[in-house]
Amino acid sequence: MKKFIRTYLPFSKAGLQSSMAYRANFIFFMLGEIFKCFVMFFVWKAVFNSSNGETFMGFTMENMIVYVFISFLTGYLSFSDGAFALGEEIVDGSVTMRLIKPCSFDMCFLFQELGNKVMNYSIMFFPIVLGVEIYRFVATGGVCFNIWYFLLFFVSLQLAYLINFYFNVCYGFLAFFLTNLWGTNLIKNVIVNFLSGATIPLAFMPDALRIVLTYLPFASLSYTPVMIYMEVYTGWEILFSMVLQVFWLAFFVVVSKLLWKSAMKHLCLQGG
Amino acid sequence: MIYIDNLRKEFKKTVKEPGIKGSVKSLFNPKKEIVKAVDGISFDVPKGEILGFIGPNGAGKSTVIKMLTGILTPTDGKCEINGQIPYENRKKYVKEIGVVFGQRTQLWWDLALRETYAVLKEIYEVPDKEYHERMEFLNEVLDLDSFITSPVRTLSLGQRMRADIAASMLHNPKVLFLDEPTIGLDVVVKDNIRKAIQKINAEQGTTVILTTHDLSDIELLCKRIVMIDKGKLVYDGQINNLKHKFGQMRELAFEMKDEGDISALDYASAFNFDEDDLSVKCKGVQVTVRFNSHKASVQDILKYTLGKIDVRDINVKDADIEEIIRRIYKDGV
Amino acid sequence: MKRAFRLHRIFIAQYLKKLMEYKVDFIVGAVGFLLSQALEILFIGIIFSQIPDLAGWTFNEILFIYGFSLIPKAIDHMFFDNLWMVGYHIVRKGEFDKYLTRPINSLFYVTVEKFQIDAFGELIMGIILITYSLIQIGADIVWYRVLVLLLLVPFAVLIYTAIKIITSAISFWTKQSGHITHMFYMSSDFSKYPVTIYNNFIKVVITFIIPFAFTAYYPASYFLRGENGLFCVLGTILISSLLFVVSILVWNRGVKKYESAGS
Repeated sequence: MKKFIRTYLPFSKAGLQSSMAYRANFIFFMLGEIFKCFVMFFVWKAVFNSSNGETFMGFTMENMIVYVFISFLTGYLSFSDGAFALGEEIVDGSVTMRLIKPCSFDMCFLFQELGNKVMNYSIMFFPIVLGVEIYRFVATGGVCFNIWYFLLFFVSLQLAYLINFYFNVCYGFLAFFLTNLWGTNLIKNVIVNFLSGATIPLAFMPDALRIVLTYLPFASLSYTPVMIYMEVYTGWEILFSMVLQVFWLAFFVVVSKLLWKSAMKHLCLQGG
Repeated sequence: MIYIDNLRKEFKKTVKEPGIKGSVKSLFNPKKEIVKAVDGISFDVPKGEILGFIGPNGAGKSTVIKMLTGILTPTDGKCEINGQIPYENRKKYVKEIGVVFGQRTQLWWDLALRETYAVLKEIYEVPDKEYHERMEFLNEVLDLDSFITSPVRTLSLGQRMRADIAASMLHNPKVLFLDEPTIGLDVVVKDNIRKAIQKINAEQGTTVILTTHDLSDIELLCKRIVMIDKGKLVYDGQINNLKHKFGQMRELAFEMKDEGDISALDYASAFNFDEDDLSVKCKGVQVTVRFNSHKASVQDILKYTLGKIDVRDINVKDADIEEIIRRIYKDGV
Repeated sequence: MKRAFRLHRIFIAQYLKKLMEYKVDFIVGAVGFLLSQALEILFIGIIFSQIPDLAGWTFNEILFIYGFSLIPKAIDHMFFDNLWMVGYHIVRKGEFDKYLTRPINSLFYVTVEKFQIDAFGELIMGIILITYSLIQIGADIVWYRVLVLLLLVPFAVLIYTAIKIITSAISFWTKQSGHITHMFYMSSDFSKYPVTIYNNFIKVVITFIIPFAFTAYYPASYFLRGENGLFCVLGTILISSLLFVVSILVWNRGVKKYESAGS
């Protein structure tokens, strides 16, 4: 274990340092992204003003606002493109540089990205959670923050990130077959965002579709942690959804290892 | 043609202390340091000359070139080219100059070379007739025809450099700035480029300012050089004079048979020169004697040395231009 | 002016040629974009299945505003995309040198160099939404307002372009400003919906400070309802012209300040 940390910690440090160097850029970038949430905030306010009932398809206004911001936060913190470079490296052959290093390919990427994440967390996590809780306090007149749900959310968020990481490793191997990884990446993100409930909450979808999507891996990426945070899922539902997350994580880890093995064979054949 | 008078350029640089503490500190109280990139340089260039403009890395060469081409505004001092001040009426001024930066192309990556020239024709407002004449001349000098329909990204480095030089000559500029035009090229291509520069200079009377680290470029193309270091002018004159002025110091290197032999050698008392005129460096069995060839001949030094000890190998370093400049870069004037 | 058109023609022809070369890439990119827009529209559709109107605007009117907001954005994207590169790396890497060694306005030269074909996705989506919503709205169209709306499009484009010019010119001082451009550019999302849904603070900001409201809501609401004609029409023209003048001044000051990187 000690050796493991000694091997991979430098990757995290490098990741943290490079993101430190660009922290101002990151802040500007994030401010730009969060505008979307504020647009939706006002859209929902207008929607609730225009509708007659207290709830909209089963959600209260506070629910919707919390949903908008927490799903944004979850989306960002569970986002992973650390392994995107893998695809390019495979195509241009520079992946062989990884083979001569005494460490496993996924851990290098993972720890480097974790270094980045330290930066993301320190800038985004606290302000957004605090903002959401202040909003909830003002809107409902009581403290809604529950430390247990919050901790479960946090664990679920980490699982979501890991699933996302390994899912994208698997996706990176597609570089063997696709020339335009950038364009297909755009389509992939659109589809994943839709299927994971990041674009439209799964609860708004027709029942049949919703049930299917809940079991697919995509709900685990974003919808599950958000539902736990909002205390929509309770008891068995939380347990079930988190077991499902663990299952999908294991699934993508195994698939990515298999793909790596066959990719290495392919590389050796190419190299002659 | 070109008059440069006491030209200066200063940059402000933020100094950052290392570590997170340093970042925070520089955020609130940034420490500014003034860097004198060019520190009072003056020289003139007559029309039709090829001037070699040299200096070690970081000497301020590029900054001078950028001020002469109107990219940067000097902090102080004056420069005048074709009777115009580059940074004052930039758009009018740059019509009369051509610029090639060897390190980065000014061509469009995706455009076929022919299209690139069509764009430049529009930008410089070259009339059709003149354009065809120029293209004919440039094609003859630089042999563009073989790759004129290929996109720039597919050109080899040598082809790209030829294309870049042609691009800078399309509007018949009076002054051509060439910043490292032979960087990264093989010997044959270098030779072609040099011939082309000579031909352009001879047939069009174009004044050429040539910056390079390849001193054979200088020896083959220029009669006169201007050398700068740390933002200051260190030499301005004929190359031959440089040899004369700095070339008197020569080096004799030899390998002793036995390390202990060094005790038998005492140049200082044997020749009785100043330290400036004679110095000895010793490392193991390797000995280097540096001496003023006006005061002692190679023969004198050799005679003395061979008379005292047994020598395994001898090497007398010639005072060629490269050696002289290397010495100046290393030790200063 | 004639020279400008000739230059544009060469570059556009070039990019169309390139498009033929990378047909698949273009289609994949366009499909991705259209898909994401379609899903967003679907979301608006779902919302409207539950409510009769949003702050007094019907579904079709919202679609019109949304669709119209894409038109100036697309045109700016098509012709002035290279400004992003100025902020992200052209200045930082010292590549701006080459724009200064030509006898042509540096701003024009930077922008003419790139023709962004990807913007067609936005343009097509905008036209589809406008056409669809107008068909649905039907009888209410006042034809002279169509002319006014068309007249306002270039001014709306100018707002996008001017904001990009100012924010990318910041890089002349800070070496890099692409992320600042990104921040301001993303605030154009506010223009997709009626300004009336926002609170006063945001209303003031997107009307007078980062005036994206004039790129969509004000022209579109005048077109749909004919209200506040003077403010909507003259406001768009004045604000965009003013902003453009400011952007040119900032750009020119920045160019003077430019410190070419490297030794």
